[in-house]
Amino acid sequence: MSTVHFFNTPHQIYWGLLIALYFFYTGLSAGSFILTSLGTVFGIEKYKKVSKVGVIMAIILLAFAPLHLLFDLAQPGRFLNLFTSVNPTSAMSWGIYLLILYPVVLMFYAWYLFRQDMVNGLDKGGMKASIYKFLLFGKKDMSEAAKANDKKKQKIFGTFGVPLALLVHGYTGFILGNVQARAFWHTPLMPIIFLMSAMVSGTGLFIIVLMLVEKFKFGKLGDDIKALISDMANLMKWFILVDGTLMVIYFIVLWYSGESGYAAGYFLLHNEGWSFLGLENILGLLVPFLLMLSKKARKNIPLVVLSSILTIIGVLAMRINLVIGGQKLPLTGSKIIEYVASGRDITIILGIAVAAAVVLTILYSVLPMNRPGAEEKKSIPVSKGVEQ
Amino acid sequence: MGKRYAMVIDLRKCVGCHACQVACKSENNVPLGVFRNWVEELETGKFPNVSRHRLPRLCNHCENPSCLNVCPVKATYQLEDGTVLVDYDRCIGCKYCIAACPYDARFINPERNTAEKCTYCHERLEVGLQPACVNTCISGARVFGDINDPNSEIAKIIATNAVTVSKPETNNRPQTYYIKADEKALRPNLLEIVTGGEK
Repeated sequence: MSTVHFFNTPHQIYWGLLIALYFFYTGLSAGSFILTSLGTVFGIEKYKKVSKVGVIMAIILLAFAPLHLLFDLAQPGRFLNLFTSVNPTSAMSWGIYLLILYPVVLMFYAWYLFRQDMVNGLDKGGMKASIYKFLLFGKKDMSEAAKANDKKKQKIFGTFGVPLALLVHGYTGFILGNVQARAFWHTPLMPIIFLMSAMVSGTGLFIIVLMLVEKFKFGKLGDDIKALISDMANLMKWFILVDGTLMVIYFIVLWYSGESGYAAGYFLLHNEGWSFLGLENILGLLVPFLLMLSKKARKNIPLVVLSSILTIIGVLAMRINLVIGGQKLPLTGSKIIEYVASGRDITIILGIAVAAAVVLTILYSVLPMNRPGAEEKKSIPVSKGVEQ
Repeated sequence: MGKRYAMVIDLRKCVGCHACQVACKSENNVPLGVFRNWVEELETGKFPNVSRHRLPRLCNHCENPSCLNVCPVKATYQLEDGTVLVDYDRCIGCKYCIAACPYDARFINPERNTAEKCTYCHERLEVGLQPACVNTCISGARVFGDINDPNSEIAKIIATNAVTVSKPETNNRPQTYYIKADEKALRPNLLEIVTGGEK
C-alpha cells in the first residue's frame, strides 16, 4: 500500500560530523591509553617501553575531543552550565565529569612516568632543561625511595585511568543507546561496541604514532619495537574479531526486532551499504583481520601500517554511520533525511586535527622519550607532523 | 489530582486548512523553516481506492518526556500541569533533546540559538486564553484543557471517544490524543521509506 505525503515539514539532522568526530577522538584516546596501561598497570614488561608514547597521545586526543562539542553547541558561551546544573538522568551530564577527571588522572600518571627522565635532562641545559625544570615543580629527588614512589604512583594513577578510560568512552555509547526513539541506537550493545571499536582504532593509530616517534627520536625502528609492533598487530587482530562479532550480533538483533529496527537494518544494508558494509566492515574490519591473521604479515611493517590505517578509516566510518545514519530515518513524515556536512564543520574538523597533530609533535620532541632499550640521540632531527 | 493539560484533535472535523500552523507561527514568532506545530497531509492507496488523511502535530507534552531526561543542564523542565518548557537562558544548544524526541517536536531556533518547541502558548494560558492553534481552529477540531477535571470538555471527549496517540510504544506517554487518526499518519512507514515502496 503506498502512502504519499502531500505536505512534508522539513526536519534536519542536527548531530552531524562534529559529534561523530568527537566519538572518534575519545575512542582513540581510550584505546591508546588502555594499550599503554598494559605495561605499567598490568605488568606486561615489554609494553613499558611504549607507555610514554601512549599516554601523551591519550591526553592530547582527549583534550582536543571536546572542542568538537564546543563548536557544535548552538550556545557555546554557555558550556559552563554543564558544570553548574547536573541532570543525573542524562548521559551527557555524566560525561562532563569524566571528560575532566580522565585527563587529570592521566596527567598525574604521565608526570610520574616522565619525572626521572626530566630530572636527568636538567643537566643538558638549554630550553628543554628550563621546560623540564618548570614541569618538575621542584621534585628533583632521585633517591631510591623517590624512584620506588614514582613506580607506585604510576601504578595507582594508571589503575584509576583504566576504568576511567572505559567509562569516558563507554558513556558515549550510552548517549546514543539511551535514545529509545531511534531503534538504530537503542541497544544495550552500544557502549560495548563503542569500547571495542575504540580498542581497534586506538591500536591502529598507536602503532602508527609509535613508529613515527621511534623513527624521529631514535633514528630507526629497533628490533625490540618491531617485535612489539607485531605483538600489537596480534592484539589488534583479536580486538577486530571481538568488534566484528559485536557488529554481527548488533545487526542480527536489529534485523529481528520491531519494524523500526528491521527498517534500520535494511537501511544499513541497502541504502548505506557502500559505507556500512564496504567501508566500515569489509575494508575497516575484515581486510585488516585477514591480513593480520598471518604471522608473517604481522612482522611486515608496511602491511601492519596498512592494516592500522584501514582500521582507523573503518572506525571513523562506523562513527559517522551510527551518529548520522541513525538520524536519517525519519521519526515523522515520509522522507529519508539527507545530511550535507557544512563547510564550517569540515573546516573545524581539519583545524582541530592539524592542531592536535602539531601539539603532539611538539610534545614528543620536547619531552624525554627515553625508554628501556633506547636513549635519545644528542641532536634531534626536526620531526614531521604526526598524522591524525 | 492536580491539573493535567492535554489536547485532543478530532480528525473527523479537521479540514486541513493549516490555520493552526499559521496561527502558531504568528503567535510565537517562529522563524522560517522551523515549526512548533504543523499539519502532515497524506494520501494512501491506489486509484480508485484511495483516502486522504491529515495529522496535526505538536509537542505531546509527554508524561515522561525523553527530552527532559536527556537534557544535560536541566534546561527542559515540566510544570505541575504537565506542560514541558525550555529555559531559553539556560539551554546550551547541545541538541540532545532534538535527537531524543520521538516526535520531531523540537528544533533549534535559528535566531535565538536554543532548543525550542510548542509551549501550549504558556503566556496565553496564564491570562486565561486558549493556545493559539486551538483558538484559531475553524472547525473546533482541537480541544485543549485539563484532563483531570471530569467536567472539562476534553475529559468528556476522551471518555466518550476512541482515542489514539502517536507511538504509544515509547515510554513517553504522550498527551496529544487523536480521534480517527490514520495509523499510517501516526508514524512514518519506515519499511516503505527504506525499500522505496517495494514492501
